[in-house]
Amino acid sequence: MNSAAFFRIEGALTKKPTWAAAAWIAANAQGVGERMARMGNVALAAPFALSGELRSGDTATRLVWSGLRGMSEDRVTVLAREYYDEYLKESVTELGEELVDQARVRKQRLVLISDNVDLVVEPLAERLGADDLICNRLEFRNQKATGRLLDPVVGATVAGQWIRQFARECQVDLDASSAYGASAADSLLLSSIGRPCAVNPNRQLRRIASAHDWPVVQGS
Amino acid sequence: MKIDIPYPLTSRHIHLPKSIPDTFSGRHLLVTGTTGFLGKVWLAMVLDRLPEVERITLLARGKKGLSPRDRFEEDYRSSPVFRPLRERLGMRLHDLMARKVRVIEASLDQPWCGLGEDRARRLAKDVDVVVHFAGLTDFEPDPTHAIEANIDGSSYIADLAACTPQRRLVHVSTTYVAGAVSGEIEETITPGVSPHGVAFDPAEELASLKAALHGTDTKKQRTSIAMQRARDLGWPNIYTYTKGLAEHLIESRNDVRTTTVRPAIVECARSYPFIGWNEGINTAGPIVWLLSTSFQRFPSKAKNHFDVVPVDTVARAMILVVARALCDRAKSVYHVASSHANPFFFGRAVELTGLAYRTRYAQSDRAYERHVLRRLDATTVNADAPQVFGHRRLRHFVRTARDVLRNMDIADALPPRMYTRVGDQLEETRRSLSNKCRQTERKLSQVDEMLRQYRPFIHDYDYVFRTDHLQQANQELTEADRRNFAFDVESIDWLDYWMNVEVPGLETWSIPLLRGEKVPRDEPLAKPPRVFTPLASTPMGA
Repeated sequence: MNSAAFFRIEGALTKKPTWAAAAWIAANAQGVGERMARMGNVALAAPFALSGELRSGDTATRLVWSGLRGMSEDRVTVLAREYYDEYLKESVTELGEELVDQARVRKQRLVLISDNVDLVVEPLAERLGADDLICNRLEFRNQKATGRLLDPVVGATVAGQWIRQFARECQVDLDASSAYGASAADSLLLSSIGRPCAVNPNRQLRRIASAHDWPVVQGS
Repeated sequence: MKIDIPYPLTSRHIHLPKSIPDTFSGRHLLVTGTTGFLGKVWLAMVLDRLPEVERITLLARGKKGLSPRDRFEEDYRSSPVFRPLRERLGMRLHDLMARKVRVIEASLDQPWCGLGEDRARRLAKDVDVVVHFAGLTDFEPDPTHAIEANIDGSSYIADLAACTPQRRLVHVSTTYVAGAVSGEIEETITPGVSPHGVAFDPAEELASLKAALHGTDTKKQRTSIAMQRARDLGWPNIYTYTKGLAEHLIESRNDVRTTTVRPAIVECARSYPFIGWNEGINTAGPIVWLLSTSFQRFPSKAKNHFDVVPVDTVARAMILVVARALCDRAKSVYHVASSHANPFFFGRAVELTGLAYRTRYAQSDRAYERHVLRRLDATTVNADAPQVFGHRRLRHFVRTARDVLRNMDIADALPPRMYTRVGDQLEETRRSLSNKCRQTERKLSQVDEMLRQYRPFIHDYDYVFRTDHLQQANQELTEADRRNFAFDVESIDWLDYWMNVEVPGLETWSIPLLRGEKVPRDEPLAKPPRVFTPLASTPMGA
C-alpha cells in the first residue's frame, strides 16, 4: 500500500479562489456587451459563496461557471491557459511548494483537489508533478460551453466516502497519508486522513483543527 | 491445406497497389509553376521524400536578369522551402539538383510553351506525366494576363502533355471554380455547363471574351467587361472565371488524360518544410493582418466555411494524385479541401485570430498593444448592415476631416497679430493632419477594395467541398506511405493550427510584406565549386 498527500489547491497551495478564474474568463469575453452580461452572471454566485461553503454546497461552484454559457471552447481554453500563466502560476505560495516537496521526499502519491476546472488547474498539476488531479470539467457542446459542470461536481467539500473509494481503487493507505486544507469546507477531507494538516486556515478551520489537535502551519 | 478459390483470378482481379516510391521510381516528371508557393513546396517534398524519381524537368521563366536555371539555383540555395534538403545534404544538394532537375526556359503564354514544336515534341517523348501548377492567383488581375496565364497556358501545356507517350496531365485549379453557388460541391466537372447551370461553349466563350477585350485601352475597362461575362456565367471574379474556363477547355479535349486537382485556400505549412512556412501574400494574410489592427468588425458570415488547407497537406495530396495518375487510376477531379472532412468556420477563424494576437500583444513592448489592442476582440458582422464604427463610415469621416482641414483658412480665422505669432506653426500642423487623413483614407479604401474582392468567399456563398476521392485514395495506401503522403486534413486541430502555426507563420512570412517590410532569408548554401579541366599539355603547377 502506498501513502498519498492530498492537497486542496485553493488555500493550501494558492490564495486564488475558484471564482476569480471564472470571473476573469467572463471579463474577457468577445465584445464589451458580452463581457458585462457574463460578469453579471458570475456575480450571481456571490451570495451563495458568502453564505459559507458548508451551507451552499456545490451551488456556488455550479453558478459561478454558468456565466460562461455560450462561450466558445477555443476562447475558454486559451483564456484558462492565460489565467494560469498570468495569475495562478505565480500565486503558488512558498509554503505550498515546500509542503509539496516534502511529500515528494516522503515518496507520497501527490493528489491535487480543486473545485476549479481542468483547463485552469491542469497546467499547475503538470508543473507540480502531481499524480492525480481531482477537479471539475466544463461541458462543451458543438464547441460551445453549456455553462454546466460535468458530473461528479467537485464542490468546496470533498466527502470522506469519496476519499475511501479513491484509496481502495488506488491502493492508498489513508492512515499513512497526509491531507492539507485551508478552509472549514476541507474539514471532511482532513478528518478522513491519518495525517491532517491545516495550512493558513481560516477562523473556522483553525477552531476545528484546535479541537481535533490537528497541526496548523502558517506561512507565506 | 487446400484453399478453395471461388473463381479464377486473373490480373484484372488482382490489383496490388504499388507503394508511392515504387510508383515514382524511374519516372520523368515535367512540371510548371515551381516558383510559386505550392509548386515549390511540392517540388522540395518530391526531391526529399522520393529519391526514386528519375528526372524532373521544370518549365520556368527567368526573372530580374537571372536565367531560369540561375533563378532555380538561387531558390534552392537560399529559399526556406529547401531548408530540409540543405540541412540533410549540405553541398551534396548541388549534385542532387544537377542529377535530377533540368530547368528549361519556357513561356507558357506561347504555343508549344515557346519551345517550338520540334523541341517540345522531343522534350515530351519520355515524359511520364505533366504536372501543371502555373497560374495567376490574383482575384482581379488584368483579364488579358489572366487569360494568358490561366487559359492559354493550360491549353499549351495540354498540347505538350498530348505529345507524351501516356498523355497524362495533372492540372492544378481551384475549388472556387464552383462559382456563385452554395452548398455541397461534388468532385465533378461537366464541360460546357456553367456554375449557373447554363450551357455554353467554352471555346466560343474564350474567343468572344478575347474579341471583347481587344481594342480596350485601360485595365478598368477590361476588368469591367470580364467581370460582367464572369457574373453572367456564374463565376464571382476573373480568377475563378479564367480557371473555370481552363478546366472546361481541357476537359473537352480527348487527346489528353487530365486529372484536375482543386485546392481550396492554401495556407501555412504544418510541418514541411517547417512549421508556419508561407510565401508571398495569400488569401488569409490580408484578413489576419486586418484583424491584428484596430479594425475589429469583420464583414463575413460566422457560420460560413473557411476552407483552409496547409500547403504541405496539399503537397502530400498532390503526390498522392500524381501517383494515381502514373498508375492510370486517377479520378478526373480531386478536391483538396477541409470543409468536408474537418470543417473550419469564419467565426472561429476571426475569434482565434483575436486570441492569437491577444497572446502576442501580452508580451509586446508597446503600451498601446499591451493595454488596448490586446483587449479588443474582432467579431464578424453582417456586411450589409450599417456599422457605427464600420470602415465605410470611418472613411467618410476621415474624408470630411481632410476636406475641412484642406479648406481651412487660418489667416482668415485668426486676428493678424496672432497669425503672425503662431500662424506658421498652425499651418504646418494643418498640413500634417491633412496628410495623415489622406493616408488613412487611402488605407481604408484599400481595406474596402480588399473586402469587396473577398466578399463572395467570406460572405455571399458557403461551400462544402467534398473530398471523397482523396479519402478513398488514402484507404489504399500502405502504412509507410500513409505517414508521408496521406491526405491528412482530418488530423488538424484548428485551435492549435491557427494559434501556433498560421498566425505566427503569417506574421513571419507574409504580413511583413503587407507592411512594406522584408521577410527573412536563409543563409545561402555556398555555390557549387566550378570544375576546370586542365589542358593536357599544361602542368598542374603552372
